[in-house]
Amino acid sequence: MTIAANSVGATQPDGAGPILSVSNLQACFRTNHFGVHRTVRAVDGISFDVGRGEIYGLAGESSSGKTTLVRTIAAAIKPPLEVVGGTAEFSFLPGYDGLHRAPAAEVARIRWRHLSYIMQGSMNVLNPVRRLRQSFVDFARPHMAGTERKFEQAVIDHLARVNLDASVLAAYPHELSGGMRQRVTIALATICRPDFIIADEPTTALDVIVQKDVLGMIRGIQREIGSSVLFVTHDMGVHAHLTDRLGIMYAGRLIEEATTAEIFRAPLHPYTRHLIASLPRIGNDTPRKGLEGTPPNLADPPPGCRFHPRCPLAMEVCSRSVPTMIGTAPGHRVACFAVNGSEEP
Amino acid sequence: MSALLDAQHVCKTFTRGGVFSSRRIHAVCDVSFRIEAEKPEIFTIIGESGSGKTTLARIILNIEQPTSGALLFDGIDLAMVRSSADRMVFMHKVQPIFQNPFEAFNPLKQLDRYLFMTRRRFLAAGDHADIDIAVDDALRRVGLSLKEVRHRYPHELSGGQLQRVAIARALLSNPRLIVADEPVSMVDASLRMSIVNLFKALRDDLGISIVYVTHDLATAYYISDRIIVMQKGIVVESGEARAVLNAPQHPYSRQLRAAVLLPEVAAAAPSATLSP
Repeated sequence: MTIAANSVGATQPDGAGPILSVSNLQACFRTNHFGVHRTVRAVDGISFDVGRGEIYGLAGESSSGKTTLVRTIAAAIKPPLEVVGGTAEFSFLPGYDGLHRAPAAEVARIRWRHLSYIMQGSMNVLNPVRRLRQSFVDFARPHMAGTERKFEQAVIDHLARVNLDASVLAAYPHELSGGMRQRVTIALATICRPDFIIADEPTTALDVIVQKDVLGMIRGIQREIGSSVLFVTHDMGVHAHLTDRLGIMYAGRLIEEATTAEIFRAPLHPYTRHLIASLPRIGNDTPRKGLEGTPPNLADPPPGCRFHPRCPLAMEVCSRSVPTMIGTAPGHRVACFAVNGSEEP
Repeated sequence: MSALLDAQHVCKTFTRGGVFSSRRIHAVCDVSFRIEAEKPEIFTIIGESGSGKTTLARIILNIEQPTSGALLFDGIDLAMVRSSADRMVFMHKVQPIFQNPFEAFNPLKQLDRYLFMTRRRFLAAGDHADIDIAVDDALRRVGLSLKEVRHRYPHELSGGQLQRVAIARALLSNPRLIVADEPVSMVDASLRMSIVNLFKALRDDLGISIVYVTHDLATAYYISDRIIVMQKGIVVESGEARAVLNAPQHPYSRQLRAAVLLPEVAAAAPSATLSP
């Protein structure tokens, strides 16, 4: 299916290149408590591209660095988090090597107009003491031209897309159910028709039945306005339903990337293989094994491939050198010596 | 057959508000079920948030008292279990496991202290060496050992390990029933199945019955023997787990079943989920 080129983005440069290009991005938490220096390398040399009109999924367990990666890309960097190296360049913000290097005025212009967010806790996004109408004005009014009345009409039209009626504008956030609130935040994030949306676990706090509706809504709006989405969740079921391409993270590194269908059909990395095979399925009760061992402590990660202490295919080389991402098929990259062969670099 | 746990028309109503505008919330409405003593099983309570499943779990743990109806454990009405001595005997046999292991443990206390105190409280006798052996036994059952846990604080362990310690702690009193409220929803995917498998092993090897409270239909299908589906405090469907989940009858159960995000979708129909 084809997606209409984003017609509203007048400032957007043309071209078929990726909208977000992350290259060798490194970020770490540096702490210094009572003279004890600790460096946690939460994002360690990650490279990937997100194409136009694509939903790119990031999967990984807790403390695998997915939220840190997203925070780095979105320039929500507060100490002790530090960007050590690499770039995360948006096509609508050329020349700065990433939002985190851009001046504040530029960031204010980009935010919400070109780049918006859908977060996990909708209560944290919506101001609890302001009616939702005011939240829409706070977030979106600076980016939209026209009269007050036209703006209000645009908001009401947009709310209809997420199956909410105009009456919610007069409500306070606590008066709405969790599902409705999350739909409001989706409407809020998409009203300016941004080029890029970052969604960090947006459905994790929702009930199963509501979750499917909300996912369908994100999909529908994304198709309609042609945005690209970076979708982060640990739930493989959500990825199966929503994302086009999928990157799997383990202990701060990207270890496999392919189309979502490919990841589910023919995963290559031992960790991904285990992850897919251990998903419980209704109608199938063959015994499934958990993975031995525990995720590594990122303050003191194992040398070489970080998965090797738990890996069933571990070889001698795995504990010595770090595997690089190598393409095995068009669009399928994997970082594993057992899959790619163990030629020393 | 005698019943290990016998719920008879259990209701729980919460009253909100003051004298003039009180609102009653029926959290649990007329729930009845039996878990047989001779046949250990994994009994699953499924429902969304607000369906009353956690309230029901708290009633089973005797933290909450039913407004009407009765809950009998091993023939004893839980309403009669009030003195601290009686409660001690009850807790000996029924142990909880909670959703978030990081909240269940005091962050300032070493984990082995927890285990030693639990052991000492339930079985007063024994010197240090005996307790060490008992604690080590319980930890080995869950795939850990005393050596790994000794002098460690909760933050030094991963969520999965800590949840195993919580299960080991529950095992120390040799319980007959474990009430597990969403025990795997905070645990990472790679460790989730090992915890779920552990529940199966507890049922098969130690003969412990488990009340498994969850909203996740897939793990429920994987481990449960019987399930009840709750909606707004009412049990809408109950029966043998495989039968109910394979062919749900009630509209709400069907809705729940349809909302499960199956991983097969991506692999089966790539064109439907792919962009150019």
